[in-house]
Amino acid sequence: MNEFHLTEDQQDCLQELINIAMGQASDQLARYLNTFVYLKVPSIESVDAKDLMQTLSQQKNTMAVVSQGFFGYEGIRGEALLVYQEEDSGRIADLLGYEPDELSQDEQLIDISSILTTTFLNVFARQIDNQMSYNAPKLLPNVKDNLSEHLQQMPFSWDLALKVNINYQVTDYSFNCNMVLLIPETAIINIKNVLDRILAEF
Amino acid sequence: MLDINALISPDNKNTSALSEQALTQVNNQIANQLNTGILVLDAEYNIVMWNRFLQVHTDKVANNIIGQSIFSAFPELPERWLSRKLDSVLQLNTPSFCSWQQRHHLFELPHTRPITTDSEFMAQNCTFLPIETDGVVKNICILIEDVTDVCHYQTQLQKTLDELANISRIDGLTQVYNRRHWQESLEQEYAKAQRHDKKLSLIMLDLDYFKLLNDNYGHQCGDMVLIEVSALISSLLRVEDIFGRYGGEEFAIILPETALKGAMELAQRICSSIAAKVLTYKDHDIKVTVSLGVAQLSAEESNYEALITQSDSALYQAKGQGRNQVCCADLSANMIID
Repeated sequence: MNEFHLTEDQQDCLQELINIAMGQASDQLARYLNTFVYLKVPSIESVDAKDLMQTLSQQKNTMAVVSQGFFGYEGIRGEALLVYQEEDSGRIADLLGYEPDELSQDEQLIDISSILTTTFLNVFARQIDNQMSYNAPKLLPNVKDNLSEHLQQMPFSWDLALKVNINYQVTDYSFNCNMVLLIPETAIINIKNVLDRILAEF
Repeated sequence: MLDINALISPDNKNTSALSEQALTQVNNQIANQLNTGILVLDAEYNIVMWNRFLQVHTDKVANNIIGQSIFSAFPELPERWLSRKLDSVLQLNTPSFCSWQQRHHLFELPHTRPITTDSEFMAQNCTFLPIETDGVVKNICILIEDVTDVCHYQTQLQKTLDELANISRIDGLTQVYNRRHWQESLEQEYAKAQRHDKKLSLIMLDLDYFKLLNDNYGHQCGDMVLIEVSALISSLLRVEDIFGRYGGEEFAIILPETALKGAMELAQRICSSIAAKVLTYKDHDIKVTVSLGVAQLSAEESNYEALITQSDSALYQAKGQGRNQVCCADLSANMIID
């Protein structure tokens, strides 16, 4: 237990905020995709740097990772990683409503990632009276072998990672990916302050 | 990165030391002096504003473009795809992005480095931002950044990396594959043949009396012979055959989807072609011969090294039987060429 760990109350509060954000985000997504989107309650784990590397490097068939930086007021910032498995990649064009020949698979992954990340984080930010800006999303090269290497080379040192398992089911098929939010030390303190403020209000 | 929201957000206006009118002037001048294209659309994708950067980079007249649909003003845009993207910005109230790495450019704008780059158009990173007025997203701001330099250097870097990768696979003297790459290829072909139950054969060959040649005519002559013999062998191979320099004067050929019979025929053709060839070095006529060992992958080998061992011992048998001939690893099928 160190100063970056969330207390049980803080953890519950965060889980609740993320549930609501994910719910609203998937609602928006359903309207945009003009289809029924069923979202399982996202499972959330907060993991520290060392454990995350282990979990992610154990993951089989990781095909692609899209990374996108986010930054808001009060020092709340970090990097979102969307981690895809091989079997979920083929159907993204269908999901987005593009014709398969209109865009490359890379571009499809980047597009869906950006939509998932920004819709979710926008709603999340609004709940904590914040506002997010985003960097352009990037597909990480050659991620197959060296995801943990990428994590070690991040431009900031991050001490807490929130791993959010997202499972969307869209009418005929389900679509899985992991969203990992990497959050640097100062931002964690700020998030904890915001959580405490919310807890105090109830 | 430019955060246009921060520039125009109501919070900033309230706290600004400038009057609203002065602030508008400041914002307008910043927008016009930015080295980034700004294009603002309404919800029907008609152009409501653009900045100087775009005006000077297109031949369009300011008066004509305002009020026009973005797709008629810029007919080069992929309409279906971009509409879908713009829809997402309006509906989800989230920014969207388009990188030169996926699409080199959206807008056909000239750039200022025509000589050094591959494309006649400016490479672009585009950002699509939702703009709220009175709490409702009614407009989309498109930011167009010139990344021609980045694109150019990245392309150069990739070319250099490709060249380096190629160089690391090639034997400098003979221009055939080097030992390391050849062996990696054999490992792959072996795995492929095992997995798909395909045939695979191997030829190992060695120049006869090469040391004598070096001693009599010098190493430059030896080098010339290696180069000429490699070129001659290369000309006899199919594209899928993998030819490498195994060591000093020893070469090896991987023959995917080839049975022993075909490999023997090829080995004999190589043997007789080299024996028939007359090379010249400083007015000397030089005749060289090679000995070859051939092996085919069978159920007995449990790794690719075993295949090398087999053809290698066939090669030594060919040497032992008088050189300038082909031997095969399967003793019963031994063939000798005079």
